[in-house]
Amino acid sequence: MAKVPRNFKLLEELERGEKAIGDRTVSFGLADGGEDIYMSNWNGTIIGPPHSVHENRIYSLQIHCGPQYPDSPPVFKFVSRINLPCVDANGNVLGAKLGCLSQWKAQYGIETVLQELRREMASSSNRKLPQPPEGSTF
Amino acid sequence: MAMSKRILKETERLNAEPVPGISATAHEDNLRYFDVIIAGPSQSPFEGGVFRLELFLPEEYPMTPPKVRFLTKIYHPNIDKLGRICLDILKDKWSPALQIRTVLLSVQALLSSPNPDDPLANDVAQHWKENENDAIETAKLWTKNYAK
Repeated sequence: MAKVPRNFKLLEELERGEKAIGDRTVSFGLADGGEDIYMSNWNGTIIGPPHSVHENRIYSLQIHCGPQYPDSPPVFKFVSRINLPCVDANGNVLGAKLGCLSQWKAQYGIETVLQELRREMASSSNRKLPQPPEGSTF
Repeated sequence: MAMSKRILKETERLNAEPVPGISATAHEDNLRYFDVIIAGPSQSPFEGGVFRLELFLPEEYPMTPPKVRFLTKIYHPNIDKLGRICLDILKDKWSPALQIRTVLLSVQALLSSPNPDDPLANDVAQHWKENENDAIETAKLWTKNYAK
């Protein structure tokens, strides 16, 4: 397969993110007013999954895609406070504790990670974890 | 990586018979990915500017068009803030008979003839329609500031 260079992969992801993805349970777009030609910084949101403490909550994240993306995974940080085993006390998503980040593949994208984070929220061991007040930020 | 003969032939010819004002250099580690430089055409607001672009030939090329975008900031109604280009041959008017060379010539021609009636950058297109001289001055200024 042809290897899609970083910038063209990010442009594809941007176009996908701008259209509705599936049921809109996760979404993402460029930060910095969409002016950064290298598309390094992104915003993401996750709608809390049903039948969990996260139901009806909206979580915001900051996402950074470095120069080595997609050979290296993006870096994720929650802006909305959340209590999850794969998120540290400052909101950073711990790569070692999230499967798609620890086993990162270049064909994954921002959406892959947001969807897996959402599945983490809904997992049987996490869905009842006590959470900080809704709307509070790191 | 499986590379089509066609891509190798096109690359050879680009090197052997370069197009005036255009250069395209394949990345050593990805022969489908090119660094492109286009000189701003004379008698356009982009004259004197050196514009950097990137071009990628997708797996399905030449059945699908190349992907091209500007890396240098440019004030042009058919080019947006991310350098994406509104050009018919890069979309529905693509034909496998076209090549990297013809695509880059078309991009160069687009610099000579901005088309505010088919805009990608709406604010720029509006400026172009309402006060063309003023828009051209802005384009010249951006060329001077960014296209070095």
